Amino acid sequence: MPGPFGPEEFARVAEAALELPGADGVEVLLIHEWGGLTRFANSTIHQSTWREDTDLRVRVVRASRIGVASTNAFTPEGAREAARSALEMASVVPADPLFPGLTPPQPTPEGAGLDERTASASPDERAEGVAALVAQCPPGYAAAGAFETLGSEVALANTEGQRCWAPLTQASLSAVVTGPEGGSGYAETVARRVEELDPVAIGRRAVTKAERSRAPAPIEPGRYDVVLEPAAVATLVAFLGWLGFGGRELIEGRSCLSGRRGERVAADAVTIVDDALAPGTIGVPFDFEGTPKRRVELISRGVFVDGVYDRRTARQAGTETTGHALPPPNPDGPFPLNLAMEPGEASLEEMVAGTERGLLVTRFHYANVVHPVASVITGMTRDGTFLIERGEIARPVRNLRFTQSILEALANVVAVGRETELASEFFFSASRVPALRIEGFAFTGVSDH
Amino acid sequence: MLDLARSAVEAARRLGADHADARVVRETTESITVRNQEMEGIDRASSEGIGIRVLAAGRWGFAATARLEEAEIARTAELAVRIARAASRLPKEPVRLAEVEPVTGTWHSPMQEDPFAVPLERKIALLVEATRRMQTVKGLAFAEASADLFRRRTFLATSEGTAVDQTVVHTGAGIQAIAVAEGELQRRSYPNSFRGHIAAAGWEHVERLGLVEEAERTAAEAVELLRARECPSEVTTLVLDSGQMGLQVHESIGHALELDRVLGMEEAYAGSSFVRPDDLGRLRYGSPLVSVTADATIPGGLGTFAWDDEGVPAQRVPLIVDGVLEGFLTSRETAVVLGLRSGGAMRADGWQHLPLIRMTNVNLEPREGTLADIIGDTRDGIFMATNSSWSIDDKRVNFQFGCEIAWRIKHGRLTEPYRNPTYTGVTTEFWNSCDAVAGREDWTLWGTPNCGKGQPGQIARVGHGVPPARFRDVRVGVRG
Repeated sequence: MPGPFGPEEFARVAEAALELPGADGVEVLLIHEWGGLTRFANSTIHQSTWREDTDLRVRVVRASRIGVASTNAFTPEGAREAARSALEMASVVPADPLFPGLTPPQPTPEGAGLDERTASASPDERAEGVAALVAQCPPGYAAAGAFETLGSEVALANTEGQRCWAPLTQASLSAVVTGPEGGSGYAETVARRVEELDPVAIGRRAVTKAERSRAPAPIEPGRYDVVLEPAAVATLVAFLGWLGFGGRELIEGRSCLSGRRGERVAADAVTIVDDALAPGTIGVPFDFEGTPKRRVELISRGVFVDGVYDRRTARQAGTETTGHALPPPNPDGPFPLNLAMEPGEASLEEMVAGTERGLLVTRFHYANVVHPVASVITGMTRDGTFLIERGEIARPVRNLRFTQSILEALANVVAVGRETELASEFFFSASRVPALRIEGFAFTGVSDH
Repeated sequence: MLDLARSAVEAARRLGADHADARVVRETTESITVRNQEMEGIDRASSEGIGIRVLAAGRWGFAATARLEEAEIARTAELAVRIARAASRLPKEPVRLAEVEPVTGTWHSPMQEDPFAVPLERKIALLVEATRRMQTVKGLAFAEASADLFRRRTFLATSEGTAVDQTVVHTGAGIQAIAVAEGELQRRSYPNSFRGHIAAAGWEHVERLGLVEEAERTAAEAVELLRARECPSEVTTLVLDSGQMGLQVHESIGHALELDRVLGMEEAYAGSSFVRPDDLGRLRYGSPLVSVTADATIPGGLGTFAWDDEGVPAQRVPLIVDGVLEGFLTSRETAVVLGLRSGGAMRADGWQHLPLIRMTNVNLEPREGTLADIIGDTRDGIFMATNSSWSIDDKRVNFQFGCEIAWRIKHGRLTEPYRNPTYTGVTTEFWNSCDAVAGREDWTLWGTPNCGKGQPGQIARVGHGVPPARFRDVRVGVRG
């Protein structure tokens, strides 16, 4: 099984690009990923895959003109050819007056490192996990999901002398269990190490949800108090990361948080940070232009502190980079990849018990932006939505569509869960969030299941 | 490269695979973004590798590598077989494949001017000029222009003797005007949102788009929207432009009729479908004006090819005929479940991924008249244009879309513009409320280059040929 190339091999390949004649500056970024995914549906494995790929991305600067070329040929020739192509582009494009220069040499923190077992997990190990999960389904129930194990390394070198390298791993196992009369349940675990996944527990949790959500009753749309489980909260937080915290949107007045620094934007109980170095997340210890990562407070006890910046937007804003650059050329600007909402003190049961009439939501599905500056998004509930009456789960209900401002929802938070869960929408991005109890959440439509 | 693909197939067969196919794929992309006459970003990317798919012990296995050496290909083939055998740990009927005749050949999507050979200076100059013209409109915050080029060459060999070499080239461009005020952001795009209009064509396609000519109008509409009223909340008659119709067909028909979804194979991620196999020939999906075809043969579409990634020839497959469900998007594995031959809809996102059922060009067939005729024939309603947002539930039933702009239709004329328009509905109710579909004159074949599906996630490039259409009793102006 493949593993990381390592810093020495990366340096050897990168050198072929760094020595490009005719450039004022060169940066080489490597993203190397390998791993397998075992996918199952109708309680059996139907798609099972393995892949390895590299992205060697070369940014060339010439008189503040910038070109970027990438290749998956991880060889000195590949690097040299990409550098030549990037230089050709940099020779003809208009200059970027805001180009801040490449990252100067500086130390970067140690990452969590590679978990060997995860990086080299076999198809048999994944199939065994799926079999254990599927075995939790009683007759009449079926499981679908994916078991993925990934290894990766990220490395950067530039002509200023900055050098970074970090390996990391990620494992995830998710399940949707469907049962008679429209019952459906969901559970997922995302972790750095495959041994942290418990297929039996994930299967049981999804089965229990599917059993409890059997024969969902019709329900009218409207404003409901809600208890959102962490998977649902992760959707709100991820979209806030997109619509709110990016330095470029903040500067340009396109963020829902533009001009609101120091202002109360959420309930007192809400604190959101970005921290790629936190032990409970999966993060690269430097950003994609080589700036070391650090913890950044974004919303502190309901007050908006500031967003995240890369070198270019930091220059625009007259501040320091927070280490949130994405791979170049990146017209979208910096982005927080490791959001975390700090936990509170309530258990999920206490949040349900504290709700006179409301809905318990397992997760959201296919959310999308309706109004970016107002932070309004829409989406559906999925895989377990329940009516709460007098502090108890009364019955399952059909899925509802929400159309809701994220900031309004965060302002209406009345309880924060004490347990957090890690959710990952895509590799290199993971949010750690608790459950939330929120008053007056807007549901604008219903489905038939 | 076909030899490499053949050697992978042979290696897999030697290891006991009952069926094997291998694709060596080379991709090249170029993406240019200009904003306010300055460079936002330019990048070129190239990628090459091999994906090997096998059937062993009745199960699929797939492995892919970028290292195109004989030893690595043999190791990857062995891994694919091991993956398939590992899958047989759980009981399942062995995978069966619909029959297909082996094919050989070479194919290239038509184009006049290779976009990769056009000098960079010329491409950038066009985009800079388009943004300059947008910036002449007072009150505009950001003028953006972009161009995207894509070339994929696929060498496919199968254990049944298929050996084909096919290349597609996609070229597109668009402009976007963004106006910002306190707490409000409005954008207008031309010719369509999400990086414009992309087609299977050369640079000549971009030069025909009229980006510079349409720049000032596009910018003026964005600025005007800042002063417009919010789209009112009501149930009314809704007319959609061709651009929005593309997304409406994509989400509420195309995805719903992918047979893998119908059979539950996508349940865990994007979901399944409200449609069941036995709805075929029975389900009244829409009004008699609604006829939808999956057509991989039509020139210019992002879903146009000669063979799919299983070597099945491109076809024109009726999905809905005069409102009644008549077909699905199928693969060899799923078609055989219904006793059919494959409709040729299996495509992979590069060499790294296994083929999945993807839309080809899923088109709403034109009827008669023009958009102007439909508006002229509408006493009271709302006309919405250019998609800005989309969301649909896990069975493709309840949907909600947002558009960039709307206008009130009064007595057959467009009157007041509205900002932030949205509408929502239920798939079959909505399509059954369709009482006007425009003709060929206003029918456009759009490219959708960002269709997500599968785990690991794959992005497909698909097409939608669609005319404007009208729907009755639709809820618009959704508010929380």
